[in-house]
Amino acid sequence: MRLKPGPLRLISRLVLLALPIVGVCELLAHFIASASAPRSQDWAALERPLEALRREGEPIVVTPRWAEPLVRQQLGAARFPLAEVARPDADRFEAVVEISVDGDRAPETADWIAEQQVDAEALTIRRLNNPRPRLPRADFVDLVPRAEVRFGEPARRCTWNPNARVAAGGLGGHPTFPAARFECPGSVFFNVGVTVIADEHFLPRRCIWAHPPAAGDLVLRFSDVDLGEEIVGHGGMYWMVERTRAGAPVRLRVSVDDTPVGEVVHEDGDGWRSFALPLGDRSGREGAEVEFAVSSADFRHRHFCFEAVSR
Amino acid sequence: MSRHRIVAATLGVAYLVLLLSTVSDLGYARDEGFYFHAARAYASWFSALADDPGTALEQGAVDRAFGVNREHPVFIKSLFAWSHRLHERWGLFEMEGTGFRFPAMVLAALAVALTYRWTARRHGTVAGVCAALLLAAMPRFFYHAHLACFDVPIAALWLLGAYCYARSLERGLRWSILTGLVFGLALNTKHNAWFLPIACITHVVLMVGWTWWTRTPLSRTPEIRRGALTLGCMLTLGPLVVYATWPWLWHDTGARLAEYVRFHWDHDYYNMEFLGQNYWEPPMPRSYAWLMTAATVPGITLLLFAAGLGAYLLRVARALRRRAKATVPVFADQALWLLGIGVALGPWLSDQTPIFGGTKHWITAFPFIAMFAGAAGARTIRLCRAVARARGGVWLTRARSRGLGVIVGAALVASPVVQTLHSHPWGLSAYTPLVGGSAGAATMGLNRTFWGYTTGSAVTYLNDNVPPGGTVYIHDTAWPAWDMLLRDGRLRSDIRGVGSVAQADFALYHHEQHMQGQEYQAWVALGTTAPAFIAGLDGVPVVMVYRRADATTDASSTAR
Repeated sequence: MRLKPGPLRLISRLVLLALPIVGVCELLAHFIASASAPRSQDWAALERPLEALRREGEPIVVTPRWAEPLVRQQLGAARFPLAEVARPDADRFEAVVEISVDGDRAPETADWIAEQQVDAEALTIRRLNNPRPRLPRADFVDLVPRAEVRFGEPARRCTWNPNARVAAGGLGGHPTFPAARFECPGSVFFNVGVTVIADEHFLPRRCIWAHPPAAGDLVLRFSDVDLGEEIVGHGGMYWMVERTRAGAPVRLRVSVDDTPVGEVVHEDGDGWRSFALPLGDRSGREGAEVEFAVSSADFRHRHFCFEAVSR
Repeated sequence: MSRHRIVAATLGVAYLVLLLSTVSDLGYARDEGFYFHAARAYASWFSALADDPGTALEQGAVDRAFGVNREHPVFIKSLFAWSHRLHERWGLFEMEGTGFRFPAMVLAALAVALTYRWTARRHGTVAGVCAALLLAAMPRFFYHAHLACFDVPIAALWLLGAYCYARSLERGLRWSILTGLVFGLALNTKHNAWFLPIACITHVVLMVGWTWWTRTPLSRTPEIRRGALTLGCMLTLGPLVVYATWPWLWHDTGARLAEYVRFHWDHDYYNMEFLGQNYWEPPMPRSYAWLMTAATVPGITLLLFAAGLGAYLLRVARALRRRAKATVPVFADQALWLLGIGVALGPWLSDQTPIFGGTKHWITAFPFIAMFAGAAGARTIRLCRAVARARGGVWLTRARSRGLGVIVGAALVASPVVQTLHSHPWGLSAYTPLVGGSAGAATMGLNRTFWGYTTGSAVTYLNDNVPPGGTVYIHDTAWPAWDMLLRDGRLRSDIRGVGSVAQADFALYHHEQHMQGQEYQAWVALGTTAPAFIAGLDGVPVVMVYRRADATTDASSTAR
């Protein structure tokens, strides 16, 4: 092989000569990348700093999201109740504790104010304060066991069963129907209970399963509710169901003390969509009667799930 | 036996031994379960054919056997059947599943050996060894090489078909016939074979174009005549081989063939996560194939490929400028390699092409990538030795020069080899340092797994923790794949798989973005948000097991 080449040949030879070095560099990069994720002892070391920063009722936010199961495993389910880990949004919390693998901030709370930060080995733990907390006065999801539920036309009462047969729909099917739920006549799909769906980003959302009937409404009536200035919430379906955009719209009508305060229409493709219904002169009322009525022109495959609070 | 054949056989056998020694860690993919079922049906028919050919050849008997999994051709599944039957008779393997998987492993070894052979023919032994190692050390190729599926088999047969075509240009009729036969077997393996004639026809057209450009009379280019003959053999013998070896086509041939084509042409779009977004219908991201190749094939392999391809294209450009005659044989193979890559990856220029299978969609390109890379690897080694000789003088003896060559070669292949071995048994979760490894890829939102095979990594936990007769929701594990874990003895025989999380004591969850709804179903059904077991590559969760809250004594497992 002669070694006095023209410019192009010289460049190509320099490139080739560099390749063994690149190979070794990639090998080193592989070792570094393989060790970049936190180890089990890093997760185990979370306990103490977390206890110092977190108060009861404050969600733990993990970023990037792929690390969250590891934190849930380490810290246990009691620190990840459904109301927090499958939160409808972050607005209703005054603070969160964020655990970051790479030091970055979680998008959901990106503009929250870092009050405290602890660097624990491979992890960064921050206590973040909500700059605009909107604390609920009443959470209708929590109040489901106290509700009165009527179904269909003519309206029939649905009975509360604390020990119903749990059912889950699998991939593309309905979310889990929990053991504690209202059972309505006609089908196992016709029930009212607290479950979790996956929204359009496949994030978990705790909500009230509310499948509309073939005719009439599904009505949830909550008594003795202390109201804020508005009723806000979200409605949606497991994304695998509504992404086909094949179903009829679902209507959610809200009334307070038998007076309508607003209506929300959910169409396939809306995803986990928020709504806000101002209460006007009903703001601040205590002991109010609040009704949610769910209906659809075509009830088939309407896996509607909603959550609402008054704040 | 020639040196090249000895080296090829050694590389192939070594790869086969490696596959066999690593297979026991690997669970069973969904599709493998379907093919086990099909192979058993075919095996019964083969037995019936031996015992009572008259009855076996009746349409009813043929259709009962070969109607199973008829949306895919039967050649490889038939090999699975034979291999499994031999295992049943002679107890060849430690696990029953390996009895099915063995033919695919043999074909993987064949691909490695043939990659060496073809590269060595053109660029020498060192290039051949580099090419073979670089193919063997592609993590995704290594993973698929273990499986009783069609992907590595079609890569091997596609490569063999292309090789036979290339040899036919030099040697004529015998190789032309062989190409036709191999093409038939490839057609009877997987529909990627449909693209082999496209590559070969294009190659003949390129040769014709070359003779026109260089003003070489066609009479002086026998390669074109032989190429045309080979195409004729492919287009006649290929379908005949398919017909002869796919009994489902013996009746209602036209309708059944049309059904087969329609199935794949109109195939459903399954879900696939890419850069954090779930894709389930067109338009698909046009960057998918390119980015996933960059993210899963070791970077040094791709750089060597680029160098090898660049060197080839420069030679072509020079020859074009000079209108150099009699160069067709020199460029024939490398042009075919490039076409092999082009037809494999070309469909992903369209945003209508499915992406749900990940890198296995274009796995037939991998050997050709490795061959270009091997050529560049050999040039690199030669160049380093030449530079060292020029600078080292008498100090650099022959032995030291050879030693330097080994060191340089090791520097080129070490990273792919280490990455590949490290990836096992998490093949589909493995990503290169270019994207930050598995953790970086997870953060980017690249798919972490599919096919449910990672149940194999949860068996120890299940065996240790599921109470006698306990139930496990199998999630994405296909039933035959679950059954094979039981038959292998890898799962305790009393553990019962169930199809609904609602009835389960334990729930498997194989993470895919679009399947997270099922993870949440487990949260509510089992009463806990905390996985009891997590496994994955490099600390990134891939498979999890949730355990029913009231089945534990740990109060913290209870969730609201």
